[in-house]
Amino acid sequence: MFPAVLIDRDFLRRRRISVVAAAVVVLLALVETVNAVVAPYRAPSDEDWVAAAAKVRAGFRPGDLIVAAPAWADPVMRLQLGDLIPVPVAGRMDVARFGRIWEIAQRGARAQETAGARVAASSRHGALTLKLWEKQAATVTFDFLAEWRKASMSVVSADGGESPCALARDSFQCANGAVVKPALLEVDTTLRNALGGEPREHATLAIEYARVPLGRELAVAAGLHNVWLRKSGDGKVRLRVLVAGRELGAVEATSSSGWTLRRLDTAALAGKTADVRFEITVDKAHARHLAFAAEARNP
Amino acid sequence: MTSEAGSAVARPSRWRREWLLPLVLSVAASSWLLAVEGRQGIGRDESQYFRAGERYWGWIESVWNNLRDGHVGRSFSRAAVDGAWDDNHEHPPLMKIMFGVSWRLFHTCDCMSAKRGLHPIPITGRHVTLPIFRRESSAFRLPAILLAGLGVALVYWLARRVLRPIPSAIAAVLSVAEPHYFFHAQISCFDVPITVMAVLVALAYWKSLRSPRWGVLCGLFWGLALATKHNAWLFPIFLLAHYLWMRRGDFRRLRPPRIPLAFVSMATLGPIVLLVLWPWLWHSPVNRARGWVLRHTEHEHYNFEYLGRNWNLPPTDPGLKLLRATFPFVSTIFTLPVTTMVLAVAGTVVFARRRRRREEAGGVLVEEAATTAKVSWTRPGADVDRAPGAFLAIHIAGPLLMVALPSTPIFGGVKHFLPAMPFLCVVAGAGAAWLIELVSGLFLSVRLRRVLPVAMAGLLCAPAVAETQRSHPDGLGHYNLLAGGFAGGASIGMNRQFWGYSVLPMLPWMVAHRPPSNRIYWHDVMHDALVMYSRDGRLPLGIGDVGVGEQVVEQSDLGIVILEKHFTVYEGLAWEAYGTTRPSKVYTHEGVPFVVAYERRKTPLPPPLPPPLPASETIEP
Repeated sequence: MFPAVLIDRDFLRRRRISVVAAAVVVLLALVETVNAVVAPYRAPSDEDWVAAAAKVRAGFRPGDLIVAAPAWADPVMRLQLGDLIPVPVAGRMDVARFGRIWEIAQRGARAQETAGARVAASSRHGALTLKLWEKQAATVTFDFLAEWRKASMSVVSADGGESPCALARDSFQCANGAVVKPALLEVDTTLRNALGGEPREHATLAIEYARVPLGRELAVAAGLHNVWLRKSGDGKVRLRVLVAGRELGAVEATSSSGWTLRRLDTAALAGKTADVRFEITVDKAHARHLAFAAEARNP
Repeated sequence: MTSEAGSAVARPSRWRREWLLPLVLSVAASSWLLAVEGRQGIGRDESQYFRAGERYWGWIESVWNNLRDGHVGRSFSRAAVDGAWDDNHEHPPLMKIMFGVSWRLFHTCDCMSAKRGLHPIPITGRHVTLPIFRRESSAFRLPAILLAGLGVALVYWLARRVLRPIPSAIAAVLSVAEPHYFFHAQISCFDVPITVMAVLVALAYWKSLRSPRWGVLCGLFWGLALATKHNAWLFPIFLLAHYLWMRRGDFRRLRPPRIPLAFVSMATLGPIVLLVLWPWLWHSPVNRARGWVLRHTEHEHYNFEYLGRNWNLPPTDPGLKLLRATFPFVSTIFTLPVTTMVLAVAGTVVFARRRRRREEAGGVLVEEAATTAKVSWTRPGADVDRAPGAFLAIHIAGPLLMVALPSTPIFGGVKHFLPAMPFLCVVAGAGAAWLIELVSGLFLSVRLRRVLPVAMAGLLCAPAVAETQRSHPDGLGHYNLLAGGFAGGASIGMNRQFWGYSVLPMLPWMVAHRPPSNRIYWHDVMHDALVMYSRDGRLPLGIGDVGVGEQVVEQSDLGIVILEKHFTVYEGLAWEAYGTTRPSKVYTHEGVPFVVAYERRKTPLPPPLPPPLPASETIEP
C-alpha cells in the first residue's frame, strides 16, 4: 500500500489535527492556483455579449428597459445596446414606469431594478444569462421633469415677497441669480435626469405646476449633485411638496443622503387636477446643487 | 527552536545560502518585473516623477557643466536650485534622482528628433547612452524595479534571522508575488521603494541590537528612507515600540533602558542624509522641511471606493468611522493571495508558541548564535531575547493601524500600508516552515523528505505567482479568491483603479479613431503621461488633448472616461457631449470595465444623390 510504505503512521496519529490543517493549506494552494489560471476564461466573452444583445434586439419594444447585473457591467452592456438606452432612460428617476426589463446577468447576480418582477423568458449565452422580467408598469399621468416648461418659478424672500423668474430657452432664471434647469446630474455617483439648481439662503425657490393631472401617488426623488460639491459643503437642502396648497411631504438632501425617493399618497386626488408646488430651501447654500425629479402616476 | 550555529554539515555552503539564493531571487524578481512593465500604463503620479526626475538630472548636468566652465557656484544659487528642485517638492528626491539618472544612462536617444520639444529640460545634443531600453519610460522605471528586486533579497535576509533558507525563500517570493505590490513594484513611484527601505532599516536595526556597525548603518539607511518617502517618519516609532518591549525587563528592574546606537545614529545621520540628498531644502531647511511635513499631515482626502461607498472625507458618523476603520484589514483580506494569508496565520501561531517550543528540538524557527559580547548602548540586545515575534507584529500592525485611523486618507488603497507586507510575508514564511516540517515528518522515505521542502516551496508560492500574473497589468483592480477575483471585488464595491494608468491598452484604438479635428478628451490621463506615451512612440506626436475639467468634454470629438466611482459625472458629460450612452470601446479585464471611450456621433450622411440622368435626358443650359 502506498501510504503504508511512505507515511509514518505513528506521526500521523500523534499530529492528526496538524496534518489535517496542513492538508487544507495544500488543498487551498492547489485550488487557488487552478482558479487563478481558469478564472479569466470564465468571464463573459465578446461573443457572449453579442449573442445576448442580438436576442434583446429581436424582442425589444419601445419603452423596455435594459439593465446589466452586476451594475458595474453596465458600460459593457451599453457597448452592445447603448443605442436602445437613450439618456432619459439611462438617467431614469426609478423603474416604476417600465413594465418589461431585459436583464443581462453574470455570476448569478440580479439587478435591483427587477425587484418585484417575474421572469417571462430566460436564455443562456455563454457566461451570460438573459432574462426578460415583467411587472405592472406605472401609468405616468404627469412627468414634472419632461413638462418643466409648463411650470412657473419664483423666488420668495424671507419677508414673504415673491418675485417671478424668467423662462429662458433652457432654464428658469431669477433676479437673485438662481437658475433651475433640466440636466443630467450626478447624484450619489449615479446619473439622473433631473431639474437642478443651486438654492439660496434666506430665500425659497418655488416651482409651481398648475392643474396637474394626478394619479394615486406622487413620486418625488431628490439628491445633491456633484461629488466635489458634496465634499465641499455640508448644508441641508429641503424640498417641500405642496398639492393644492397643502404640504404633502418633503425630501431632505444632504451630502450623504443619496438619491432619496418618496412616494406620496395622492389617492384621494386620483383622476383630478390640482396645483403642485415644489419649494426649495437651504440652511447653508455653499456648494449645494439640488437635483430633483417627480412623477404623478398610478402604480 | 534550534540554533544554526555550527550545523552547516551536509548543507549548501554559506555563500550559496546567504548570497547566491537571495541574488537569484532578486534577479528573478527584477527580470519578471522588467519583462512585463511594458504592459503597465503610466499613472498620474508616475508621469510627474518622470518629469521631475528629468529636471533633477538637468540640474546635476548643470553642476557638471558649470564645474567644467569654472563657475560651479551658479548651480547652487537659490534660483538655480529652485528652478529644478521646486518641481514635485512635496516628495523627497532620492527615487526621482535615480529615475533621472537611469533615464539619462539607458534610454535609446532620438532626442534630437521631433520629440525634442517634449522634454522638460533643454536638449542640446544627442545623448550618448547605453541604449538598453527602447522606451524611455522603461529607462525611468529601472531603479524602482531593481530596488524591488533588492527588496526580495532583503526579505530573504530578514527572514533568515528566524527561518531556514527555504522558508526564507518562500517569504521572499511571496513578498513580490502579491498583485497590488507587484503593480507598484514596476512603476517609477515611491511606494515599493519605501517598503524596501522599511525592510532595510528594520534589518539594520535588528542587527544593530548586537552589532555597532549596523547601528551606524541604521541611521544612514533611515536617511535614505527619509529621502524616499514620508512613510519613513513612522519607522522610529515602530522600532522604539519594539525596543521598549524587548527591554521590558529593565522597567521591571526600575532601570531605564539604554538609548541604543541605532537611535542616536537615526537622529543624527538621518536628517543629514536627507539634507544632503535634497537640494530643495538647502536654502531654507527648516521652513521647507516644515512645509513638507504639513503637506502630508494635512493631506486632502481624495476620492476612493471602499465597500461600495465613495470616501473623500474623514467620517463623522460613528458607524461610518467603524466601517472606515476596517479598511486596511478588509483590504488585506481581499487582496493578499489567500494561501499567503493562511500561511501568515499559521506563522502567527508559530511565533505565538515560540517561547513554549524554545527548548524542543527540531523546531520551526531558528536563532542566530548568541553573542558573547557585553551588553552596551552599541549592543543593546546582547543580553535579552530580541522578541522577533513582537518585532514582526509591530511592523505589520503599525502601518495597518495608522491607515485604520479615520482621519488618515485612504486614496492610495493598499499602497498606504504596503510597508507591512514584507513583514507579513516573513510570518507567512514561518507558516511555510511549519508546514514543510510537518509534511516532511509525515513521510518515511529519506529521498522524499529531501525533495519535499523544494516541492512544497513551489506549491506554496504557485498561487501567489499565478494570481499576480493574472492580475497584470491591472493589479489595482485585482481581488483574491475570497473576494471572487476582479469581478468579485467590483461587486463588493472595492476600488478598481486610480491614476488613470489603465488607458494604455486603449491607445492603439484611440490612435486609429483619432478624429479629424484632433480634439481628444483624455480625462484622468495627465498631459505628462501623454507626453511620455508620445516619447515612447505609443502615441503620435501632436495627438490632441483638449485639457482637463468638466467644461472641456463638450469641446472634444473623442474622449475617454476612467471608470472610478466618483468619475460618474464625467460619463454623464460624455453622454451629453456625444449624444449617446453607447461607448465606442470599452477596456475590460476579466469582463470588468476599466475605461470607456466615446466618439461624437458622426453627422448623418446626406441622403443618396439621385442616379445620374441618362444622356438623352440631360438638360441643356
